[in-house]
Formats: sequence, C-alpha cells, structure tokens
Amino acid sequence: MIKLIQQFLDTSATDPDDRRRSRLLNVLLLSLFFFSFIGLLATFAYDIVESDPSIRTLYVGVLSMMAGIGGIYLINRYGSGSLARVLFVLLITAMAALIDEPQQVAEGRSLLTFAIPITISSVLLHPSASFGLAALSSAIVSFIAFRLGWIPNLFAIITLFVVAFVAWISARSLERSLQEVRTLNAVLDQRVAERTRELAEALNENQAILEGIADGVAVFDNTGQVTMVNPAIVYLLGRPAEEIVGRGVDALLGETVNAENREVIRSLLQSRETRRAGFRFDWGRKTFSASFAPVLNDAGIATGVVAVFHDVTREAELERMKSRFVAMVSHELRTPLNAILGYADMLKETIYGALSEKQLDVVGRIAANAKRQSVLVNDLLDQSQIEAGTLALCVAPFKPIDLVDDAFAGMAVLAQRKGLALTHHIADNVPPLVLADRQRLHQVLANLVNNAIKFTEKGSVELRILRPDAEHWTFEIADTGAGIPAEVRQDIFEPFRRADDSLTRREIGVGLGLSIAKQLVTLMGGEILLESEVGRGSTFTILLPLTPADKE
Amino acid sequence: MGDKPLAMVVEDDADLAEIFSQALLSAGFETQMINDGRKALDRLAEVAPAVVVLDLHLPSVSGVDILQHIRADARLGATRVLITTADPSTAQVLEEQADLVLIKPVSFTQLRDLAARLAMTMSS
Repeated sequence: MIKLIQQFLDTSATDPDDRRRSRLLNVLLLSLFFFSFIGLLATFAYDIVESDPSIRTLYVGVLSMMAGIGGIYLINRYGSGSLARVLFVLLITAMAALIDEPQQVAEGRSLLTFAIPITISSVLLHPSASFGLAALSSAIVSFIAFRLGWIPNLFAIITLFVVAFVAWISARSLERSLQEVRTLNAVLDQRVAERTRELAEALNENQAILEGIADGVAVFDNTGQVTMVNPAIVYLLGRPAEEIVGRGVDALLGETVNAENREVIRSLLQSRETRRAGFRFDWGRKTFSASFAPVLNDAGIATGVVAVFHDVTREAELERMKSRFVAMVSHELRTPLNAILGYADMLKETIYGALSEKQLDVVGRIAANAKRQSVLVNDLLDQSQIEAGTLALCVAPFKPIDLVDDAFAGMAVLAQRKGLALTHHIADNVPPLVLADRQRLHQVLANLVNNAIKFTEKGSVELRILRPDAEHWTFEIADTGAGIPAEVRQDIFEPFRRADDSLTRREIGVGLGLSIAKQLVTLMGGEILLESEVGRGSTFTILLPLTPADKE
Repeated sequence: MGDKPLAMVVEDDADLAEIFSQALLSAGFETQMINDGRKALDRLAEVAPAVVVLDLHLPSVSGVDILQHIRADARLGATRVLITTADPSTAQVLEEQADLVLIKPVSFTQLRDLAARLAMTMSS
C-alpha cells in the first residue's frame, strides 16, 4: 500500500528542488482529490435529502474540480512539473475566488481563504511567488468589490501581503536549510568516495607487491590450510593456485620434499613465530629457503602464518661448485708440492749422489719455498672450509707436553738464529692427558709461536699452559717484541690483514694465519685475547674449554 | 738381493711412488712399485711382501679392498700395511686394520725413518 502510494507520488523530475515540489504537489493533489470526493458524496447526500435546483452547479463545481486535479496530476507526471504547479496554484486561487458568495469573498468570512494559495505558492513555486499570488488575490478581491460597487478592503489586502511575507520568509528559510543539507551531503559523499578510493589504492598497492615479488608467498590460517598464494609460487611450483589453496601444507609441498623437511616446515608453521633466517630445503629439483611470520589481528593474536619461499637453487649450486673447486684445486696444488719437497729431501739426503755445498744450499731453498707454498695452500683450504662450515674437528686424547714439542719443533732453530730464549711452562694442575684436536691446536700454537719469534728481536718467547679452573685451559704465548699498537689489535685477526704492511711477504705470507687461528679457536668454543704494550711485547692468550682424558 | 725384505709401494702418482720407494730403499728394503689396484692384487697372489705402502685412491681396485684382501689372506699374515691418505677422517676408520696410517703429505725422511724402525723390529 505504502509502495503503491510512493509510486503514485513519484515524479520524473531530476532536479532535487523540482522533484521535491512535484512530490509535494502530488500530495496536495491527492488530499484535495480526497476532499473533493467527500464533497461529491456530501453533495449527493444533500441532493437526496433536499431537492434544490441549484445543486447542479455544485455537481459541476465538484466534478470539474476533480477533473482539474486529474489533469494537473497527468501534466505533473508526464509533462512539465512547473506548469502543473502553476495550474494548481491558479486552480486553488480560482477555488478561493469561487468558494463563497461574492460578498463574502470581497469583504467577509472567505476573504482570507486566499491565504491558502499564497502559502502554497511560496512552497510549491518559489518563496517569492507568494507576493505574486498576494497581488493576484488582491486583484481578484478588488475586482469582485468593484463589481459589487464597493471600495476594496485595503486592510484585508495588506493582511494578504503580510501572509505572503510570512510565507516567503518560511519557505525561504526552509529552502536554505534544504540547500545546506544537500551541500553537507555532497561533501560527505565526496569524502566517502575519497576514502573508498584511498582504501582501494592501498589494497591495490599491497596486491601489486604480492604479485610483483619473485619469492613464493603462501598464507596459512590457524587450521593449517592455505588461504592465499601469489603468482610467483604458482610459477615456481608449476602448479595452478586451485590445487594449492584450501588445502594443507602437505598438498603444497607434495612428495618432492622429503618427509623430514616436511615435518620441520610443519612445526615451523605451527609455532607461529617469526623466523627470518631461511630454512633451506630441496623441493623437487630446486633448493628453497623458507621464512615465516605470523599474521596478527588488531588484538595481536595470530590468525595464521605467512610463509615466503625464496629460490636459492643458483646459490646452492654455486656453493657446491665452490667447495668442489677449492677441494680440487688444493689437491692439485698440493700433490706437485709434495713431490718437489720429496725430491728436494732426497737430494739433500744424497740419495742421488753427493752434492756440493752450493748445490745443497739451493736444494734447501727449493724445500723452504715449497714448504712456504704448501702452508699458503693449506691456509687457503682451511679458510674456505671454515667459511663453508665444513671443517670438522678431530678430537682424541694426547699429552699437553706434546703440544709444546710440536710447536717448538722447527722453531728452536729460528729462535736460536735470532738469539732468543724459547721457553715453556706447564702449570702443576694441568692433567697428563687432554681431549682435543691436537692437529688444529698445534696449528694455532705454531702460528702464534712463529709470529712471536718473527716480531721479537731480542729477549724471549714463552709458551705457557695453565688451567685457571676445572673447565678452562689457557695457552699463553708471551714475547718481548715490538708490541702491537692498540688501533690495529682488532684488524690483525681479519683475513688478509697485517699489522704492518711494510713487512716483507717472506715474513708473513698472505695474512691468513692469525685469522685462521682465531676461527679455529672459535670453532673449538674458545677465544683469543691479546694484551700488548708497544716496545714491551705482546701476550696472546687462548682460552679454551677442555676436558682431561682418562686414557690414551 | 734376496736377503733384503720386500716392500711393495702401491701408489698411482709416479713421483710419490718414486719418493716412497727411495725412502724404503734407504731403510734397507727391496722395493717394487705398482700403480694400479688390480695389478697389486695380482702381484700379492705371487709374493708375500714384508711391508705394503698403500694409497687409498687407486684405479680399478681401491686401497680399502686391497687392505681387506691382505687381512683375509693367511699367507699374508706377517705383512705390515702402511696406509697413506690425505683424509684424516679415514685414518680413524682404518686404524684397526692397518698397522699404521700416514696422513699425506708423507715426507721422504718421515717414511725413511719409520721404515728403518720397522726393518729393525722385523730383523730382531
């Protein structure tokens, strides 16, 4: 019913003011039609009760009123709205003029009926239209008055203009308020549109990032189901998104990831913790590095996990190639060096006959150079193994005194040549057997003792083995040499660095010795400390967690 | 000839084979150089050397297989086996079966002194 009325009231106008007025007109037409109908019924009843010949005029009046209303409605609906409104105002005005006897209209009780068209016109046509209608009404009233031979009632006319003024004021303020509401609405609409656009842009930006990155991205909900994947993962796996989304992690990883790695990834997903450092695993023919981060809601509660898969196939391949290359090169370099050393030894041992003093000297130089070169090759190999994390310690029990013997073997001659005292001290609480990697520990000590002798011109070099507590051992190499300036103390442990670049190559090699020593000690779980005073000497202290051994 | 004990050098690197065999010669052994695993097994079927210096990486048959062959053959029960390897981790594995494991590089003097001591224990 309401819908029907709504439909009935609807107009074809598009301008908001036009539309509002046309709708108002329809409401007025409807109510007027209703009252006319009641009027018709009343006339009919009056006709039955009392036969009055003038009743016909009443019939004509009411019926023509209804016809006029219908006509105006049709014009309003299908023709010009403003024309319909003007016609309606005129109809009301006519009605006001004809509603009563001319005497009453000109001077009596019905004079102020004209207030109706005046008021209606200000609302229906334009606020100021009320003055026009007041003028029209005045003209009609005056015309009727003249016809009757009277002087028009000036007070009544002024009253009509006062009504027009009030109607004008009311209608104008009403229209202004409506105007303001409309402006406010327009501003709000614009603001909503702007926010919507901004939101859409932000979403598009995130979407573009997700779609643009080369890493595979998969989002999991709290039940472990994949809720979203980006195009990169589809490309990397060569499987459509439909096969992945809505299924569990096993469906994503498939059979090409081995069971052990699948389990690790599943537990990483379940932990819902941030893990930036990639977990590396083979996936089909590729190697991936996976990192994880929880998806948090506003309350900071994890609603899922986002996993990022980075293709590291190329890096893994290069690493494998590098270690193969280093292993191959070091083997190929070492084999001929060992042959050179062997032949030099045999010449020196006169296996191939007696040599002159000069020849022996040359053979000695050949052997010394070959040895230096093999130390360099070993250093490079150690460095690359440490970097690749493939250097393994070989722990076995041995006597601590062996370390002194090993470290001093060959060094005694060097020290003697420079007139240095090469001494050692082993504390009483050092047990007879220790469990450690003798070869690597020797490498570290030999390097430090060798350096100490190299940089000490007079005085002594001492190797001390101490045991400050049950778990820790210290190896101290103290010299009375030039000392190391504070500003280079950190640098000397860096690969390819030297404390003093003016030193000849013969003295120091490529500068890997101390760096490797430090890295080996770190690998054994210890640290190297350095105390030094320029002009007084240096003491390198190796602090190591070591356990005594029961038997050899 | 004849009264000296026989030492077999199984090594595919000709220079190392020469150095090892000179060291053994200096230590008083008669030496024989073999550069291939299969040939070594063939030769071991004919003679029972006092010492075998055995490289692990060999063509055709590996040093580990030759070591196991020697240990399985009662005729070669007195043969001392010296393994030479560049890999310290194999040293621990083979220590049980071999008489000695030498980590390469093995120098001339090192092997000569070792072999000399070995010769002394055998003659006494």
